[in-house]
Amino acid sequence: MRKLYQVWMPIFLICLVATAANAQTFSVQCPATTPLHPKATTDPNPVGGSIKCQQISGGDGLATMADGSQTYLFSFGPLSGLNDIAAGLPGTQSQSVFMTPFDPNAGPGDPASNGAVGLVSDTDGVTIQVPDPNSVTGGTLTQSVCPPGTAIATDGSKRSCYTGHVDPRAIMDVGVMNGNIPAPMMAIDEDDEYFLTLTNVGMIMRPDLFEQHTVHFHGYPNASSFYDGVPDASVAINIGGSFTYYYLAPDAGTYFWHCHITPPEHLQMGMVGQLYVRPRQNRTALNSSLLANWTAQQTNPRTASNCAADILCSAPKPAVSTATRGNNKSLSPTLYAYNDGDGSTAYDVEYPLQIHGFDPNFHFVGMTFNPEGFADMKDKYFLLNGRSYPDTTNMAGYQDTTGNVGSGNSAFVGAPTSSTAMYTQDVDGVQRPSQPLNAVVNIPVGGRALLRISDLDVSEYQTLASLGIPMHVVGLNARLLRDTAGNNLAYDSNSITLAGGESLDVILDASDTIKYPAGQTYYLYTPNLDHLSNDAENFGGLMTEVHICNSVDPSSKVCK
Amino acid sequence: MTPTNSKRTITMKRLLPILMIALTLSLSVSAYAAAPGITGPTFNLVANANYISQPDGQMIYSWGYGCNGAPAGFKPSMPGDFCNGMQIPGPTLIVTEGVPVTVTLTNNLPAAAGNTSILFPGMNVATTGGSPGLLTAEAAHGATVTYTLTATTPGTRAYYSGTQGDLQVEMGLFGAIIVLPATVPPNCNGAIPTSNAAAQAFNGETDFRLAHAAYDHPDSCYDREYLFQFSEMDPRIHTQVEAQAGKTCAASTGCLEVATEPYHPNYFMVNGRSMPDDMDSNYATQYPQQPYNGDPHMHPGELTLLRIIGQGRWQHPFHEHGNHVRILARDGNLVLSQSPDPGNPSVNALAGPLLFTTTTTPGLAMDGIFYWTGKGLNWDILGHGYAGDPTPATLTCDINGYFTSDPTAPNYFEWCQDHGVALESHPFGQVAAGGPVTLPNANILTNGAWYGGSAYLGPDATSRATGPNGTTPPSGTIANSPSGEAGLAFMWHSHNEREITTNNIFPGGMMMMMLVDPRVFVIDESK
Repeated sequence: MRKLYQVWMPIFLICLVATAANAQTFSVQCPATTPLHPKATTDPNPVGGSIKCQQISGGDGLATMADGSQTYLFSFGPLSGLNDIAAGLPGTQSQSVFMTPFDPNAGPGDPASNGAVGLVSDTDGVTIQVPDPNSVTGGTLTQSVCPPGTAIATDGSKRSCYTGHVDPRAIMDVGVMNGNIPAPMMAIDEDDEYFLTLTNVGMIMRPDLFEQHTVHFHGYPNASSFYDGVPDASVAINIGGSFTYYYLAPDAGTYFWHCHITPPEHLQMGMVGQLYVRPRQNRTALNSSLLANWTAQQTNPRTASNCAADILCSAPKPAVSTATRGNNKSLSPTLYAYNDGDGSTAYDVEYPLQIHGFDPNFHFVGMTFNPEGFADMKDKYFLLNGRSYPDTTNMAGYQDTTGNVGSGNSAFVGAPTSSTAMYTQDVDGVQRPSQPLNAVVNIPVGGRALLRISDLDVSEYQTLASLGIPMHVVGLNARLLRDTAGNNLAYDSNSITLAGGESLDVILDASDTIKYPAGQTYYLYTPNLDHLSNDAENFGGLMTEVHICNSVDPSSKVCK
Repeated sequence: MTPTNSKRTITMKRLLPILMIALTLSLSVSAYAAAPGITGPTFNLVANANYISQPDGQMIYSWGYGCNGAPAGFKPSMPGDFCNGMQIPGPTLIVTEGVPVTVTLTNNLPAAAGNTSILFPGMNVATTGGSPGLLTAEAAHGATVTYTLTATTPGTRAYYSGTQGDLQVEMGLFGAIIVLPATVPPNCNGAIPTSNAAAQAFNGETDFRLAHAAYDHPDSCYDREYLFQFSEMDPRIHTQVEAQAGKTCAASTGCLEVATEPYHPNYFMVNGRSMPDDMDSNYATQYPQQPYNGDPHMHPGELTLLRIIGQGRWQHPFHEHGNHVRILARDGNLVLSQSPDPGNPSVNALAGPLLFTTTTTPGLAMDGIFYWTGKGLNWDILGHGYAGDPTPATLTCDINGYFTSDPTAPNYFEWCQDHGVALESHPFGQVAAGGPVTLPNANILTNGAWYGGSAYLGPDATSRATGPNGTTPPSGTIANSPSGEAGLAFMWHSHNEREITTNNIFPGGMMMMMLVDPRVFVIDESK
């Protein structure tokens, strides 16, 4: 039996490859227009929002722990928005940027530095045949390859356009071993249509595994099970395949995402990421009433929050509000975490913080070919954004042995100099960015920082405490803390405790400039004192720094 | 087994039971949950030792409360309901606010266990007989104690042993007491509750609710309800107790020398069962000591009351896929605002949070309302809008945007705004076209056992969407086939993900599949 297996398996695999080569299994989807957003993204659409897209790989990689050891990951990596992700930003892109082919040599600011990896143009010969939805006999319809408005060049009778066709070689060149912890960050606005393509590049360190991957958008209200990412309840994406998840952005809040294949294994191994939805209230005109913005949302049942008739009303009408939208500390219009209608969730700068834990024994077993135990899982690295202290505070960006940030990885030549990404040398000798996001919280003096805290630990609860600035908790599980009569239930605390699968929004309010002057440093740390460690080192763990700065760039988060 | 394929072997091994169970589910009638229990107001309970079944084939020696003779009644009444002399969780006691309750407990545990008792946290309890104990009066080996109490507020609460709790609760001595409101607010028999009931009746469904409201509060109406008790088990403790159970003993504190620390549980249970056993029916004959299941089903728009209790000694973050839960109450205490309710100004508004993960802490009970409607997807989950679609192009909708005017319609409670809105650009099959996405070649995907066969809800849409050549189910969709239930499945599970395993085998543990079923599918919670 064993011999037969050894003989026939390679033959079977070769046949599989031969078949797969004929089918276009890698692809992306990011239409220029849709029925809901009929105008190009630069035009305002009546419904608000726009089309946003992102491409991620599902595979494996290595990360560097704060004690210097390398840890094997099952992981997601970026296949779009590479430049933004290297800068610690969400990888989500507008349609026009996403549909610009990625160029590893493009500099910051060039859409090609954030476009979709692998994108190739199609020449519109004449037409293709597609299934006719109204045919009961399996008939087809004739359709132009280039959808209206997508042509990028015309040469005589032929047009070329980007239809979502990708070159598998480019996908594999970038996607293999490019895992990140946390997984690529996603951020969308209410009313956006979001096209998220997951491409399964396989796990090169575990060729014995034929693992599928999925994306579970954790907390999506009224989710369809089809796009919920539970493999038992829907479809899972095989190695060599792409699947585009489609969402209309739900109510604003701090959500998160993860793979849902064998969750105790894939989550522990690192397939966890951050995801948040920004509120419509951010589109309120300067000096206009926030309550008026809230009221305008009540005319549409989709955006309304009617606590008199709906027990799951998400943003109750504020009991008191006279607030208008002003400028924040960086002199741009203030942003809000929720459609609060009263400005109670206003902030100057936001920081996604994801709590996680790694059990090095499980990761070692996960890298080898041994059966895994689940019940006695014991985390020994306690992570904020995939890093433990002191790596959580690293501002400079890790450099390779020749001192070049990001060199050795062609995909990241264009990485911005402000990148704080940590790099890890993979088994092929290439340095790849493994932990793009630090966990430093820079607050402009007198300002308010929104901490979007999510937890995906798979084995225990973790507590995060603030030494100094009180934690003003404004949201829980992606919902505004407010009773159905409209009274705010936000509270002040010096610590928050979360299980895996929970999220919470905290505002660190440093508006008292006497107490919190520029130049001061405070700490976020865990009072689970055994979590202030990095495996055998009795130092580190779940801890990071809060800096009061003269000013903070709200995009790069750089402290000045 | 070669080292290089050992993990695959385990994966197949772990897949096989679930496939077998799924197959069984598809061949037999599916199982649904409700919140079944026994009625009083006089309850004769007994504490006994017996074995409980786990899906890895283990029979685990445990202690549990059970019925000392036939109970006064079962509620809701189901064919084949029983209350044996030992069960885990203990019998769910269903009582009514303001009605005096008497619970008599007989201790039939082995003499080596010593005394036992019941605590009813949050209740004002008087005791009669028994032996004095630290927290309450206890029943000595072979003896009896009586507790009398009157619940002054409705809601769900835990009860559990007040004697050597670290050992006795671990061994299984816990249960739930549900207090029904003395009066149901009139609006809970109002417009939408009435049309939901009409839709159930039209489709031939029976009402399995214990009441029409969880509390004497107009925002606590519900259409369906489920009770979930979370507990964990370290089998090493159970093995040691079993080995010493035969000791001769006359001490009230028992004669067992069993360390309850360090604690390494590897069974994680919902209502005393691990997945997939929890999705077998209530009172299934194969689980004589574990009568209650965890197998929630609902139709779109039905307000579903979740009664959630943390038993045992660990916290469990219970994640409800599909939507948020509005927390009504904790331990039978409504969480209320100081301000009037926007819908019913004569009472105070709800102030409980909206949660997608309801963390259970030991001894904590909470009540919450969940529903699923498919609101805001921007595509018609019923697949309307195709050529020849008999439904009107626009629907008449209620204040929340749902089609609730015709409870006999198969699309009752459809989210109106997306009626006829296409998902697929060029669908294969008869659903609306012109939407934003193209679904990939199905050959690069793996179908789940509970995948209904299409993105859509219901046998009609699924049959139309899976192609012009009929209703052949895509491979793998065996527990929720397009020709059968065709529901939408959502996993409800502990997000301490290591707890969705059974003795280190995935899948298992604290996990279940919640199904949102199409209106035409009959949810019969007695099966």
